[in-house]
Amino acid sequence: MLLSVERINVSYGRARVLSDVSIHVNEGEMVFIVGRNGAGKTTLLKTIAGFLSPEEGTIRFGSDKVNALGPEEMALKGVRYVFQDKRVFTKLTVRENIQLAAYAAGVSLSEAVDKIVQLYPPITRFLESKAGTLSGGQRQILLLGRALIGDPCLLLIDEPTEGLAAGIIEEVFKVLEMTRRKVSMLIVEQNLAVVRRLADRVYAMKEGHIVAEVNTPEDIQNQTLLEEFL
Amino acid sequence: MRNNFLEIVRKVDILFIGCAFLLLAPVLTVQRTNDFIIFCIFVLAYNLLYGFMGRLSFGHMLYFGVGAYASALTAEHLSANPFAAIAVALVAGAGTGILLGPITVRTTGACFALINLAFNQVGYFLALIALAKWTGGEDGMAAFFDNIWIFDLGNRYVVFGFSLLCLLLVVYIMKRLTSSSFGILLRTIKENETRAKFLGYNTFRYKLAAFVISTTLSAFAGALSIINYTYVTPSFIDTTRNVEVIFASLIGGSASIYGSLVGGISYMIISNYLPKYIQRWEMFLGVALLLLVFRFRSGLWGYISETVEKYALKGARE
Repeated sequence: MLLSVERINVSYGRARVLSDVSIHVNEGEMVFIVGRNGAGKTTLLKTIAGFLSPEEGTIRFGSDKVNALGPEEMALKGVRYVFQDKRVFTKLTVRENIQLAAYAAGVSLSEAVDKIVQLYPPITRFLESKAGTLSGGQRQILLLGRALIGDPCLLLIDEPTEGLAAGIIEEVFKVLEMTRRKVSMLIVEQNLAVVRRLADRVYAMKEGHIVAEVNTPEDIQNQTLLEEFL
Repeated sequence: MRNNFLEIVRKVDILFIGCAFLLLAPVLTVQRTNDFIIFCIFVLAYNLLYGFMGRLSFGHMLYFGVGAYASALTAEHLSANPFAAIAVALVAGAGTGILLGPITVRTTGACFALINLAFNQVGYFLALIALAKWTGGEDGMAAFFDNIWIFDLGNRYVVFGFSLLCLLLVVYIMKRLTSSSFGILLRTIKENETRAKFLGYNTFRYKLAAFVISTTLSAFAGALSIINYTYVTPSFIDTTRNVEVIFASLIGGSASIYGSLVGGISYMIISNYLPKYIQRWEMFLGVALLLLVFRFRSGLWGYISETVEKYALKGARE
């Protein structure tokens, strides 16, 4: 088991946001979390990424307990977080955005650029442009590509297709499909079409709790089962 | 074609900067141009923190003053070799940065600005009162250096040439630093430090490194000003003078090496020549600041480069 979250509780001040949450991700698996707004999906990702600390419970990455690690330490362990808001470093060029990730991962810039170009060849046209000038979809692909530099073990991706046009969702889908099995992924997603096409397992969240685990292909493809949780 | 031209210009910019100061010297006088050069080094050091890393300090005169007093005290008590004085000033600047950096770089915004101001105030009173026995207190102290080989400090042209070489060296270091991954990371910290952490960076270490580089270069400017003036007074560490470097950064455009030089020269021209024509010339600075805030947010250099970029883009589209 690559990631194991065992009965964690997380609060913002006095407000309990996650209660008794347990999930796991195996190596090479693509696991989705679905649920309505406010269910605690993003909080769960942020807690695993080291941005928040659980008050109770345990987070294990491999055999290590990682409850107290910060985001930079989790990143060094091979856990990368792709934010929901698609915010790249807008004042840097696309190349500099890639360089930043390459430097952190100890990978050469050319190797890092090649990796992202393989995922999304049109990016070559924008390498010297400010990342702030990219479209939402291009930014998302840049963020995904940047997260993949240095061969991470686990990607935490928050709503990768939110707010994107249908055409570019397909591009994002292709990137996720290309990296499937090479790296484990825990993805928060509301777009059930994407979930059905990619998921190995699905957790459903409601009001800070895990309310269901859907782990058979038949149930994942079931047209009504997942919709109940949205 | 246009890009190639800009690339060539960037490659020879150090030569261009050197020539520009050589041409300024006969117009402004060598002594005054030397002041300009030293101030530009200070603005460059300041902008590594403010322009590139987004940390506005209200107390950078402390590090300038540390360099100035360290070199003067070296000349007085250890060695009259000017290079030894500069070396001690660099060590003192770096040491002060290493000592205060772990406290200051943990903070941001107003807290960072004010904590630096507080340390500057402590330094000022140390120089003025507590350590007056060594620093000469309000009267300051003179610093006399030996002539080393062709380095005749009695000759203002030699001092000017040396300062200019130092400026070009600092520009080269800053160019390498700001275009490296380290420099990119500093800009990232300015834009969103939390996101930089998610890439795996221990941002504290990088902020501390930038802080120490900035304090060291500020101390270097302080040491050069002692070689230029051969005396130091508490005005070299006075908190009220922080406004000079802040104004220069805003005028030129902070997140740019060229902007720092334009700002440094512009501020020195205003503060050296405007008092001849306007008695309360500081008022003009207030008006200039208003103009900058409302019209030239990225400073003069920022405005020029944005305009050139806009026209270049327009030309490419046509």
